Formats: sequence, C-alpha cells, structure tokens
Amino acid sequence: MAVTLENGAAIDVREVSRAYGSILALDRLSLSVKAGEIHALLGRNGAGKTTLVRLLSGLVRPSSGTCCVAGVDVGHGARETHRLVGLVPSGDRSFYLRLSGLENLMFFGRLHGLRKREARERGLVLLGEVGVADAARRPMSTYSHGMQKRVSVARALVTDPPVLLVDEATHDLDPEGAVQIRALVRRSADRGAAVLWATQRVEEVRGFADRVTLLERGRARFQGTVAELIARAGARRFVISIGANGTGSLPEPAVLERALGAAGRIAPAAAGDGTYLLALADDATLGAALRALLEADVDLLACRHERPEVEEAFLALLGEAER
Amino acid sequence: MSAVSMRHEGRAAVLTGEVAKLPAFLRRDLLTALSYRVYFVSDVLGLLSQALLFYFISKMVDSGELPAYGGSPTTYLQFVVVGVAIGVFVQFALTRVAAALRQEQLQGTLESMLVTPTAPGTIQLGSVAFDLLYIPVRTVVFLTLMTVAFGLDFQASGVLPAMLVLLALIPFVWGLGVLSAAAILTVRRGAGVASIAGGLLALLSGAYFPLTLLPTWLQEVAEWNPIAVALEGMRSSLLAGADWAETAGDVAILVPMSLVSLAVGMGAFRLALRHERVRGTLGVY
Repeated sequence: MAVTLENGAAIDVREVSRAYGSILALDRLSLSVKAGEIHALLGRNGAGKTTLVRLLSGLVRPSSGTCCVAGVDVGHGARETHRLVGLVPSGDRSFYLRLSGLENLMFFGRLHGLRKREARERGLVLLGEVGVADAARRPMSTYSHGMQKRVSVARALVTDPPVLLVDEATHDLDPEGAVQIRALVRRSADRGAAVLWATQRVEEVRGFADRVTLLERGRARFQGTVAELIARAGARRFVISIGANGTGSLPEPAVLERALGAAGRIAPAAAGDGTYLLALADDATLGAALRALLEADVDLLACRHERPEVEEAFLALLGEAER
Repeated sequence: MSAVSMRHEGRAAVLTGEVAKLPAFLRRDLLTALSYRVYFVSDVLGLLSQALLFYFISKMVDSGELPAYGGSPTTYLQFVVVGVAIGVFVQFALTRVAAALRQEQLQGTLESMLVTPTAPGTIQLGSVAFDLLYIPVRTVVFLTLMTVAFGLDFQASGVLPAMLVLLALIPFVWGLGVLSAAAILTVRRGAGVASIAGGLLALLSGAYFPLTLLPTWLQEVAEWNPIAVALEGMRSSLLAGADWAETAGDVAILVPMSLVSLAVGMGAFRLALRHERVRGTLGVY
C-alpha cells in the first residue's frame, strides 16, 4: 500500500499559507512525510495543526503554496487523493448516530468503493481491532466519545490507505485506548503508510513518532527527529549546583539574575537544594554565563546539560518562540 | 485499444462505481427512517387527515366552477387530490433536498463524505435517493387510498401516462432543491427561500384551485410553470384516460425545463462547494 515517489515523500507540503480573513493559520509551512514514517505535528491549540490536516484532506484550499499527496496536488485532484487518504478528524461529529458503528463503517467503506460484503467484513475486523466489537451493532448515539474516536480511527483504516491523516486521535481516550490506537497506527506505518499525526499530547511523541514538526502560530518552530527536538531544546539549558555562601545560605535568585545580566536567566530547579536551571540567552555562551556568576562570587559546584523530556523541550521551544 | 476507447472505458468504470454507491445511501436512510419508530405511521396519518380535510371542503365546492376533463364534470375531490399529491410532492422534494444537505452539515457527516472518493453529484443524489423513491411511492399510495376510501373515479389507462409526466417533472423539482441546497451551503440558511419558492410555485400551479380564477396576467405566467403543466397533464391522464399525444406534448415541455433546472442546480452546488473550500468554512454551521 506504500506510495513511492521520486523524492520519497508521500505527503509533500511546500510553502503553504492559509489565511482566514486577517488570521494567518499557516505561514509558509513546508514539510514532507515519507512512506512508512509517522510524522508528529505538535503544537498548542490554534497552532495550525487542524488547518494543515484539512488542507491535505482537500476540505480547505491553501491561500498559497501546494499540498501534494502521492504526487497529486490536493487542490486540483482532491478526489484522486481521497482514494489514498484515511482521515481521523478532530471533531466529535462525523457519524450517523442513529446507525450502529458497523453500519457507519459499511457506509463509508462503500463510499470508498468497497462492495457490501467486503465493507461488512472489513468493518467487523476493524471494530475488533479498535476494541469496539461488543458494541458493533449498537447505535452510535450510545457510544462514549472515546468509543466514537476509536470508530473514527477504524473508518480511516477501512481501505488500509497509504496516507493517514490523524487529528487528535487520542484526545478522548483512556491511556489503554490511546496505546491501542497508537499501536494500530504504528502497524499501518510499518506496512508502508505515511502518517501525519497531529497532537498536543507531547508525551505520546516519544517512542512513537519518527519525526516531529513543532508548530507555533502557523510556523514551523522545529523540524527533525524526537531526539533532535529534545537535544535542541536542551542545548541551551543547563542544571547548575551552587554552594552556600559565607553566611551558610544559598544566594537569592534575584542576586543570581543580576550577576548573569544579559547572559541568560536562572531559576531554582528544586526548592532549597542548591540546583538551578540556567537558560542561556540567544547570543550568550556557557563560558560567559559561568564567568559572570564566578565574578559575582557564586560558589559553582557543578554544571551539566539539562536533558529535558519531550514536554519540557516542547515548552522550551515554544518559550523561545515567545521571547 | 485506442486512448479514446480507454478513456471512455475509464469514464464508464467511474460512473459504474459511483452508481454502485447509491444503494449504500438508500440503506443508510432506510435504517435511519426505521430507527424513528413512528416515522411511517405519522406520515400516513398526516396524509389521511389531509384527505379528510379536502373531502369536507369538496362538499362546499360547485363542480360547475371546475374544468371538465374528457367532457365529464369533475368533483373538487378528484381535482384537488391530484393537486395535493403533486403539491406535497413538490414541497416535500424542495425542502428535503436542501434539508438533507443541511442535516449532513449539522451532524458533521458532509465533510466525512467529502473526504471519500465520491463525486459531489453522487453525494447530492445519494442524500435524496431515499426520498426520490419514497415520495413517488407515497404519492401513488395516497392516490390509491383516496380512490378506495372515497370512491374516486380515476382512469386506469391514465396511470402510466401520468407517471411519465411525473417522471419528467422530478428533475425540475430536484434541480430547484439542489439550488436551494447550494444556497444553504454558502449562507447556512435557505430553507425559508425554498419554502417561499415552493409556495409560489404551488400558488401558480393550479393544485388547489383552477388557474382560471387567477388574474389574466398571472394565468399567462402560470402557463410557464412546469408544475402547472405537469398537473394538467396528470389530471388529463387520470381523469379523462390516456391520451399519449397530449402526454407527449406535456413531457416535451417539461423535459427541457427539467434539464435546465437540474443543470443550474448542479452547477450552483459545485460552485458552492468550491467557494466553501476556498473560504475554509465547509464545516461551519
């Protein structure tokens, strides 16, 4: 089911901007996702994740730039690309609630060109895989939000598409359900699907996504692997240990901030244990910051790179963007 | 195989694929209708109450005021029953085509369908396929019930010509419905416009009273109303018996009007979809 292209990208977004009136939801964004790759789209609410997913699914046209799926410009060949794309939308409303989960999957399967029997068989298998087999014949109005989301994932997989666009799939799920859905999507990627996984749950990116684009106000703040994301954020953040001064007490943060001046910012990492987090200013070096502290008679005991978890990296990068 | 014939085969395959999707819409809407337990019962009861209403009104109307079909006098009940059947058919079709789309938009399923490889025309047709089958069946059931319950005298030989006229009218009404649906897609409200259009068409159709009661200038306008043409054709067939020549004349007038209505409706719907994609407001309701 993988789609192979000259540049290897199943999803190719180039210099795409999308404005809603005066609001620029996406600003000259470029990214590509290869077959078999899970590309996480991280960002806060309003960062532009859903807009990108909607652009790639042909529901919205870009103001400028191009969005291609399997080499086809979505803006000009949306129906062709719809054969290749499975979409998990972010909203709650996308099903016929008076029909059962199975009937819904059969209906959408048939719109994808499956025969009735094929659609039924595929629907039953997928409902089992997403853990909704017991409720397959119950009206969807009786499903919880989490169950509806699982059926939404099942619907996206109904034709085993080579491109999966997933918008906040685990938002309403309990941890077990989220693990189950991620495993399903991972299997799909392992079979060759290119996956764009939009989320604001930063913790689920580690060990799941191959690459990450961090969006902030429609712009890519970071693009790379998860390891690179963590390293990038950590490169300018350090944990330092400071000893007590002559009076036996630790220096006040305000005193340390004054000593650092323009070299960075410093704050206690934990109350009263002498560890501090040092964040370097953009043009400062670690040497300059440490020299500034030493010149202020700060008793520096140790200094090490902070190794932030993904969430810290996420916040750190967004914090950089805001400064 | 030549490129042209391959292209034709390709098109034929696409068309076959799209047609094969229509039963899925029918199944969806039948199951949805059945999930509302009183849906069909309330519909039949509504029809019966309407029939009773016109039965009593007919007792007040002098047959001499009504046009004669086939040289025989017509009772008001015979006259109005055909009018009611077609009037309800038109109103139902006009509002349901637009309402079906609005409903899809409100429950978020319009976007779910638009991200499948399904042509907008198939979605539009599929959304009303159930009604397109159900409403004519309902019309026939209504006419049969009236015939049996009130002993109305309809000509059996006129049933087929009447159905042909009805068939020729369906694309006209459907086109108007799709036009209304396009308006709803872009301005979110449009059911009112459909109701006004349906009301005006019904007023100038002669469904409930003879058109001769209208001022002369309105009679001239009404002559171009496809619903009036269809009604006259159906009344002639059902009340005076088959006259295929007259039926063919009515059908010949209706078919071009129907084609224009359907083409304009479909064109407007495509434009509305494109407009919404550019604005990015397809999912806004």
